[in-house]
Amino acid sequence: MARAFDFPGGIHPPARKAASTQHRIATAALPRRVILPLGQHAGQPAEPCVEVGQRVDTGTRVAKAQGLISADVHASITGEVVAIGSYPVPHPAGREETCIVIEGDGIRDDWALLPSLDWRRADHATLHARLDASGVVGLGGAGFPTQVKARVRERNAIDTLIVNAAECEPYISADDMALREHAADVLEGARLIAKLSGAQRIIIGIEDDKPEAIRALERGIAAGQAHPLPISLKPFPARYPSGGEKQLIKRLLDREVPSRGLPADIGVLCHNPGTLLAALQAVRDGRPLVSRVITLTGEALARPGNVEARLGTPMNELLATAGLDDDRLARLIMGGPMMGMELSRLDLPVVKSSNCLIAATLDELPPPPAEQPCIRCGACEDACPAGLLPQQLYWFARSREHEKAELFNLFDCIECGACSYVCPSHIPLVDYYRAAKSEIRANAFEARKAEHAKHRFEFRQARIEREAAEKEARRQARAQAAKRPTSMAANSTTSAAESTAQPQPATADADLKSLRIAQAAAKAAVRKAEKVLARVSQSTSHKGQPQGQSDGEIEDLEVQLATARENLAAIEARLAAAKDAAAGTTQAPTPPSRSADTDQERTP
Amino acid sequence: MGIRQTLDNLEPHFHKGGKYEQFYPLFEAVDTIFYAPPSVTKTTAHVRDGVDLKRIMITVWMCTFPAMFFGMWNAGWQANTAIADGYASMGGWREAILMLLAGGHDVSSVWSNFVLGATYFLPIYLVTFVVGGFWEVLFAIKRGHEVNEGFFVSSVLFALILPATIPLWQVALGITFGIVIGKEIFGGTGKNFLNPALTGRAFLYFAYPAQISGDSVWVAADGYTGATALSTTFQNGMSALTDQFSWMDAFLGYIPGSIGETSTLAILIGAIVLLWTRIASWRIMLGVFLGMVATSSLFNAVGSDTNAMFAMPWYWHLVVGGFAFGMVFMATDPVSASMTNKGRFAFGALIGVMTVLIRVVNPAFPEGIMLAILFANLFAPLIDHFFVQANIKRRQKRTGAMAEESA
Repeated sequence: MARAFDFPGGIHPPARKAASTQHRIATAALPRRVILPLGQHAGQPAEPCVEVGQRVDTGTRVAKAQGLISADVHASITGEVVAIGSYPVPHPAGREETCIVIEGDGIRDDWALLPSLDWRRADHATLHARLDASGVVGLGGAGFPTQVKARVRERNAIDTLIVNAAECEPYISADDMALREHAADVLEGARLIAKLSGAQRIIIGIEDDKPEAIRALERGIAAGQAHPLPISLKPFPARYPSGGEKQLIKRLLDREVPSRGLPADIGVLCHNPGTLLAALQAVRDGRPLVSRVITLTGEALARPGNVEARLGTPMNELLATAGLDDDRLARLIMGGPMMGMELSRLDLPVVKSSNCLIAATLDELPPPPAEQPCIRCGACEDACPAGLLPQQLYWFARSREHEKAELFNLFDCIECGACSYVCPSHIPLVDYYRAAKSEIRANAFEARKAEHAKHRFEFRQARIEREAAEKEARRQARAQAAKRPTSMAANSTTSAAESTAQPQPATADADLKSLRIAQAAAKAAVRKAEKVLARVSQSTSHKGQPQGQSDGEIEDLEVQLATARENLAAIEARLAAAKDAAAGTTQAPTPPSRSADTDQERTP
Repeated sequence: MGIRQTLDNLEPHFHKGGKYEQFYPLFEAVDTIFYAPPSVTKTTAHVRDGVDLKRIMITVWMCTFPAMFFGMWNAGWQANTAIADGYASMGGWREAILMLLAGGHDVSSVWSNFVLGATYFLPIYLVTFVVGGFWEVLFAIKRGHEVNEGFFVSSVLFALILPATIPLWQVALGITFGIVIGKEIFGGTGKNFLNPALTGRAFLYFAYPAQISGDSVWVAADGYTGATALSTTFQNGMSALTDQFSWMDAFLGYIPGSIGETSTLAILIGAIVLLWTRIASWRIMLGVFLGMVATSSLFNAVGSDTNAMFAMPWYWHLVVGGFAFGMVFMATDPVSASMTNKGRFAFGALIGVMTVLIRVVNPAFPEGIMLAILFANLFAPLIDHFFVQANIKRRQKRTGAMAEESA
């Protein structure tokens, strides 16, 4: 029983959370200047909707979501937009991205709040619109837009909402502290999201190394017993990565997320406590996401702790307030030490997904030793929480045998880093998997592009053929119409075209038959293309793939569908013409019937 | 800081374009013995477990110590006993060292036995280390990678499975074959599919059966001949064996044999550490053990009038020959073993079954475990293949995702 409700593998890295949990969450000083990247979330970057020189209040929308998966960005201070341009953002490769820079005086803080809503009374459309307008994204690190997740009901039936309070990565304590101080609000936020998603129960998964947070939650649950929705709290022993969505679901419900699937596929929705809090504040207080709780920790800081910081605040300001000792700082890591990224500079802005900053000394997180050959010891295999064979994947990634890597379910790797942690040869296994994954994705993209070009060509051919067939049918119809009055006169002059259009009865029958078969086949092709398109557009819309990618796929499928319809139209035209010809001259020709949808503008 | 400075001063000569560019790996090897390497990779996991390759290799190396020290004593004790029984000593420089340090052949003196044994074992180990090390460094230089700690383990294991009386030039040949053919030509550490130490041993076994055949014993006394426990049983039955040694003698290791293989007790001490530190796979060890027990019990039950080996019970199989050493140190070599957990059971069981089969049915090769392990090494990838395919199939059945895509 206990064994069944558990995920395989896992590791016990030193937690090192004590340093940042000594004090309550502090509020960081209001920054004079904030840099707001437009791509702080998963999906497409937002589009700026302010101009340089414009005055903005705290909470004014400065950039608008683009496409299906995206989120708004709001001004986090009161001041003036001074620049819209490329600035370095937190990124493993140190990339620059378009940002909106706002400067204020560090004192004035006027809020542009949205009207307050009572989520119990408000209908779903209102609540969705509110989440759309407040830029809330997953604050656990992935940054998936919350409003997209809230619409999960349109595609999947959800029975359980899981509050993912495991926070299994070492150092990070942002959720722990938020729960200690705002447990009731987090529970309220959970009820809100449960209402939107249709979940029948709420389960809170939390590691048992957070006794204060557990007590706060117990109090919150006891106080809110009037609510009909059952909330259960399930603490479990700490083990990394129990906070991984799939691992947590396995642990709490003993359900397994299918390969390449989502928790929604098995009726589960996972949310991080911070996200639920932000969602509640957006609805109840009308407050868009302009700040977040961030853990500042590491031995290079004199005063580690959690602060509520405005988005876009330069990290060096926060670190200076926390007492950064520049001489002892060896590396700065955003996120946890297992999955976080090393930052190359200190003046980067805090973004929506910055849950933790670790200012580590050299002794604390020593640089990795040189990579040694794999001795196939199998330690990675014992540690893998996804039940994969990391060692085999490593060999395949190294030798670029991508097909084999996919066969061994490379894409089920959650990149938790447990294998890299235990590897005695210090092989950066996760780096190999990431490289292999991105190479496979790039190859697939190239292949799809080539395929797409081919499909567009086929569509063009089909269109030309359809036009030719229709033209021919019209011409024949005219010829028939012109001939009918003179047919009684037994005119012996027959055009060459007519002789082909009026062949021997036997051949005409055979022609008709084959055309009918072709028509049936073309109809089946259209139906199949429609089905594939419907399935893919449904699945990609909730998989949260990068927008461009899924769009490309859907566009390609649309072209294929259009091609199938062109083919069908061409065959129907020909069939009509042939029927007409076979029926002889007694009947008036019917114009080639074109189905309604073929008349639509379909040029991709 | 003297060493650091010296190394830093020398370093430019070993870099690209320097005088000794091609010897960089050698420089690197020396450098990292004293200091941690400065070259780093950017990994995603910024914290790491304390266990690393160096520590694993050194742990395995230290786990062989009980067997090694007991082996040295036993080699000397066997020789001194033979000499006390009237055989002449071998003479030569070993005798001189013995006389100098211990004063003479004295069966009752632990020190005398130990020194005599050491004069046989240490030269073997030294030759193994120098010759094997030469090849390791040569290939490292040629390939431009670092010398790996795994060699520490291969060399000590190779030295321990040799008889004390083996000529040193054969030791050099054996380790050369083991390292070059058994490992390096397949790409070096981690890419070999055979156990290098056993490959070298097998080479000597087939090339020079006179010194290492296995049916006569190797005691360092002039003119001493005798049969090993296994060949005694084959020729004269179990009763001849139990007349010669008690089971406890064999378990504790008071029997002639290869240096490190005689004491099952000393080997089991190493095994406990290996299992406790989780370096060696308990699945493999258990598989070997159960495979051996099952097969030997089967032979016991079947019985045979012509082949006395049929009657050898499993607890005797355990303590004679190289079984325990092979089970603990050789079969568990992760590089050449199976990598799936279930595969490890199958891999171990295959070794156990084959060992008894070779010992009983084909006594021309008394060192059954050596051949059984090499045999199983060859089958390890196949075993893994079946278990991995079974897993993939089960997964597909459960999710149905892959099946849909390929249809």
